[in-house]
Amino acid sequence: MMRSGFVGGVLVAWLLVGLASRAEPRAHEAPWYVPDHAALQFAGSIGMLAAGPGWAFLDEQVDVQALLGWAPRAVAGADFVTLTLKAQWHPFLITHRDWRIRPLTVGAAFSYTFGDRYFLKLPDRYDSGYYWFTTALRPMIFLGGSVGHSLPGVGAPILEGYYELVATDYRLVQFVQNPGTVNTGLFSLALGARLRF
Amino acid sequence: MDSVPELKRLHHVVTSTAVRYWLPWLLLLFAGCGVFELHPYEVRGGEQNLNVRALERLPRDTHEGSFRFAVMGDIGVFLKEAKDAMEDVARRDVDFVVQLGDLTEFSSAQEYDWVARLFDDVPVPALAVIGNHDLLGTGPQLFRHHFGSEYLTFDFGGSRFVLFDSNSREYGYPGDVPDLDRLRAELIAPPCGGHLFTFSHVPPWHSDFDPSLRGPFEHLQAERNVAVSFHGHLHRFGSDAIEGVRYVVTDALELRRYLVVTVAGPTVHVEQVSY
Repeated sequence: MMRSGFVGGVLVAWLLVGLASRAEPRAHEAPWYVPDHAALQFAGSIGMLAAGPGWAFLDEQVDVQALLGWAPRAVAGADFVTLTLKAQWHPFLITHRDWRIRPLTVGAAFSYTFGDRYFLKLPDRYDSGYYWFTTALRPMIFLGGSVGHSLPGVGAPILEGYYELVATDYRLVQFVQNPGTVNTGLFSLALGARLRF
Repeated sequence: MDSVPELKRLHHVVTSTAVRYWLPWLLLLFAGCGVFELHPYEVRGGEQNLNVRALERLPRDTHEGSFRFAVMGDIGVFLKEAKDAMEDVARRDVDFVVQLGDLTEFSSAQEYDWVARLFDDVPVPALAVIGNHDLLGTGPQLFRHHFGSEYLTFDFGGSRFVLFDSNSREYGYPGDVPDLDRLRAELIAPPCGGHLFTFSHVPPWHSDFDPSLRGPFEHLQAERNVAVSFHGHLHRFGSDAIEGVRYVVTDALELRRYLVVTVAGPTVHVEQVSY
């Protein structure tokens, strides 16, 4: 918990640095480590709420984000703290008046869960290869889309709402093995908002 | 010139109205359907206490001394085969089913939910033992949430059935998995002179079973005159006798085979069936 708190603090500080230096809205003027957007996500296997900074590349066609997620014991049965690295590609952009619609997003993420009961490397009690997967680090892929609208104000930031259909490793394995049986469980839904400043 | 901002304002109003009126309901609908997953190992909702509920469904005071039950092996990633097995079992005239652990591959909440739903659909009462794959992450919590305690004892048709946790390696061989004190208390002569049956995932001769407990466990089973000790984990059928007690390991369900056990008075017949 100490470690995750520290990571969270660093991420929030990073985000605040980004916000402060964005008074002059010119993405290429800021140093590379200053984020150009922030995201807040609900669900999607990375916590009830996950938030963090993001960076856009290739004219905002590609986004990379680092999200710190949390799910409380009261809702999820245990406290979960995760750190997720996420990459998205939005190949299409449709603009209409002040609206910016990205009808397709494809992406991939790795989520790391903090805590002693999840392992990244097999604990000593197992022989090598006893389990072929890790319980702490989860790969996942997703499909989605987003709608954005510019907000009036300094630098006219853009607020985007997005959805993602997330397929985690265990869902993919079961789906490949039992496509007929597991017909409703391949995806879980994530909803989120991104503020591009 | 005025019409453009006017239109924009209208657009805003329409959007925010839609968001205000529809989004909360949409979220509630999705949340209710289990569309959202907060974490792979979350413990919430779904079918609960299935072992206890299965026992409540088990008819009492019937088939005195004569009955049939099914024993199924590992499910893991063989959900399709497990579903077929659970459908097949309805045609075999058995009174109940015991599944021998590894309900899941990753212990994820979603897999637990799939097997819990599968168990809830079986026409006869179905009980589950906990396997090593079911103990990863919050697995112990998920098992208790969906199925109940890892240790379960019940009487049926004059015989006694004891389900327990023998996944010693998962806990780092603490010396009380399986809990022999608890087993000693449960493994008493069945009330009506029937048989004693035990069920766990890892068989005692396997290295995942605490080696320091193997001898004491086998002595206990022999001393209490256990009729058959059923196990999974190895994925292949095997049968052995140790100190006069019969040990049977079931096939994983990928082989589309399980066991039907017929108890008729003093005789116990274990048969492999294919489906």
